[in-house]
Amino acid sequence: MSSGLEKIFLKVQKPARYTGGELNSIVKDKAGVDVRFAFCFPDIYEVGMSHLGMKILYGVLNRMDGVWCERVFAPWVDMEAQLRDHSIPLYALESGDPLSEFDIIGFTLQYELSYSNVLNMLDLAGIPLLAAERKGLEHLVVAGGPCACNPEPLADFVDLFFIGEGEEVDCELVRLYREHKQKGSSKETFLREAAQIPGVYVPSLYKVSYGEDGLISAIEPLDGAPAKVRKRLMLHMDESYFPESFIVPFIEIVHDRAVAEVFRGCIRGCRFCQAGFLYRPLREKSVSVIDKQCRDLCATTGYDEISLSSLSTSDYSKLNELLDQLLTWTKEEKTGISLPSLRVDNFSTEIMDKIRSVRRSGLTFAPEAGTQRLRDVINKNVYEDELMRTVSTAFAGGWNSVKLYFMLGLPTETMEDVAGIAELGQKVVDLYYTNPARRKGKGVSVTLSASGFVPKAFTPFQWEPQDTIETLHEKQQHLVQSVKTKKITCHYHDADTSFMEAVFARGDRRLGPVLLRAHELGCKFDGWNDYFSLKRWRRAFADCGVEPEFYANRRRNFDEILPWDHIDYGVTKDFFRSECERAYAAQVTPNCREACSGCGAACFQGGICYENR
Amino acid sequence: MKTVRIWFQKRGAARYISHLDLTHCMARAIHRAKIPLWYTQGFNPRAHMVFALPLPLGIEGRREALDIKIDETQITMEEVRERLSRTLPGTLPVLSVTEPVMKPGKITWASYELVLEPENGDIDLLAQQCSALLSQPEIPVSKHTKSGMIHFDLKPYLAETSFTVEENTVRISAFLPAGSEKNISPYLLTDALEHQQGASFLCEAARTGLYDAERKLFE
Repeated sequence: MSSGLEKIFLKVQKPARYTGGELNSIVKDKAGVDVRFAFCFPDIYEVGMSHLGMKILYGVLNRMDGVWCERVFAPWVDMEAQLRDHSIPLYALESGDPLSEFDIIGFTLQYELSYSNVLNMLDLAGIPLLAAERKGLEHLVVAGGPCACNPEPLADFVDLFFIGEGEEVDCELVRLYREHKQKGSSKETFLREAAQIPGVYVPSLYKVSYGEDGLISAIEPLDGAPAKVRKRLMLHMDESYFPESFIVPFIEIVHDRAVAEVFRGCIRGCRFCQAGFLYRPLREKSVSVIDKQCRDLCATTGYDEISLSSLSTSDYSKLNELLDQLLTWTKEEKTGISLPSLRVDNFSTEIMDKIRSVRRSGLTFAPEAGTQRLRDVINKNVYEDELMRTVSTAFAGGWNSVKLYFMLGLPTETMEDVAGIAELGQKVVDLYYTNPARRKGKGVSVTLSASGFVPKAFTPFQWEPQDTIETLHEKQQHLVQSVKTKKITCHYHDADTSFMEAVFARGDRRLGPVLLRAHELGCKFDGWNDYFSLKRWRRAFADCGVEPEFYANRRRNFDEILPWDHIDYGVTKDFFRSECERAYAAQVTPNCREACSGCGAACFQGGICYENR
Repeated sequence: MKTVRIWFQKRGAARYISHLDLTHCMARAIHRAKIPLWYTQGFNPRAHMVFALPLPLGIEGRREALDIKIDETQITMEEVRERLSRTLPGTLPVLSVTEPVMKPGKITWASYELVLEPENGDIDLLAQQCSALLSQPEIPVSKHTKSGMIHFDLKPYLAETSFTVEENTVRISAFLPAGSEKNISPYLLTDALEHQQGASFLCEAARTGLYDAERKLFE
């Protein structure tokens, strides 16, 4: 640690965010390292350190000889001010070396509203923001993660994107980089070859043209780049790398516990859910593998809580068996098990008793919509009687607080659907008081949390307009007014941020200059309510002559060329279109375990598509 | 069930761990070390852990103490020391594990050592400023407490504070009230030096020892 840093550590909140030196962090001898990789998370330490993908890729990359992967997080505004005041460039936590000493600077894109932080972090490192201004092979800026599925808004800044899961493709890219670094290749030569690695998208090798109507008229690959970049994925989860240890932070982070990944993908196909389509097909891990990974993690970290993570953990086909296996040792070690994503249709007393046997956490369910019609539109496949049965089970088991998640602004939504959210909350409250087994003398607390629907790429709703901010405000007010009891607490998500998220989720390359202008105007930490300013963003759009409503609130035609049409996640555009049409007809589609709907993900030749049903 | 006292240091990056986070950090290290702990018998079982006296953020601890309750039929004090040394990061080294002699509530004093390096390199000026501060008739300071901001004179507490000038640093040694009754942070001294004498310096502060009312070393 330099004395310059020592001086500023005491002037900022939570300096342990910036010191490094945590247990299980990896420090290598620079003499034996020829590729240095800075893994950048464009949010604060506590958020980034909670992210499982980063822990996996940190382990994967550091397993490679001669490669040293270090962590970099967005400094909070107080630290940024100190760094700028003292002219200290952004540095990586393991070595304390500035980012400018790294070969590859990799960003993980988890959230559209973190894009301004990507630019700000490059700026803090003194690295040119525009890819075209970084001439040499050094400071190669790469990015991956779910938001890379529509990489176009960042095409001006990022040299190449990883499409899909990074475990293999990241290493292949690093090996190619090493070869070209040794040969002293030009950046152009390297990028041309990198574009030949399946799952690597080099935006500078694609020409995008626009028609007079402002729509995309063509996307053409150049220099032998593939016409479509298909995602990479790990087909065999049991053999797939999983870290034996996690870095254990000195400070409390958002998800401060051991995390086991029970499966990737999701059988469901909820029509609003991007992750549900991006990660197809469903690939499970076996009970013994998960059990061993949990034991290793608890032993190396000392965590006393395990979270069984996935997009929908109660869909794990062997959940009971897994819980029984874990309970053989977790009870003795006073280790708690939490299931973060439960569905109302398969939550049983048995599972409830098992997760409760050590420590109790709150119960959260996501019906997503207030009426059956709208739940059918979004293909949620959850019925009111199932919710009531589940909640009743929970109340009988001693729970007295339930949190329910919903979305406002879903396609075809009416004010009756909005009021339905409050009615559903009321039914849950009423149910509590008719339950003879409830805990006497305790009231019930129901929390309704409503976020604004953001239409995303690679979903059946990718063509849908988002409700305007005004409409979302009306719906929020209608929801609040429909609640008639103090037993219900109602939260809703800020409509302004949902709007900007919608712009970037389906944006194209014309948003590059807007992002740059927004950065100049000081936009950062847009995912944090205290820093997001729609006014500042609107000014950036106006300065660049771009209308954000074109991206957020416009209904696209089914035959329009979408900015992400050259990216391929296996699921076909035809399938999305038919799902969209079924949504309008309020027709549900069976989940992958019930029947195959022919989405296209079978092209990967593995996972649930090839299992016996 | 038996209470044992773990003596450890808190240095380097570990100085920036807050007291609350240190409790989590220690609990995990104890868990990793598989030390058989005594748990509270409540609905949410918790391990019994008592730190002798919290250390302010940024200050190095040379001889800190943590009491835990172990099952002495399963583990010896030497095994606790040895296992915990392996599971704690290098910035939190274990010195020894002993039977507690005094209760943490008996702590009344703490000794500190502060090494100040002038930011502009002018050691003579910094020495003058230290000297001037200590000869001020009053040193008005303020600190946050549970009942809000309080203002008081630091001067009466500095009877046993002195400094020496070394090659290019000023070394302050201070003996200040500490404990749950009255606690004077050495930062009050450095803040006063900065704001009342206009000094500008890098400071490395360490708490070197804890003492009872009779000034006997806390054991």
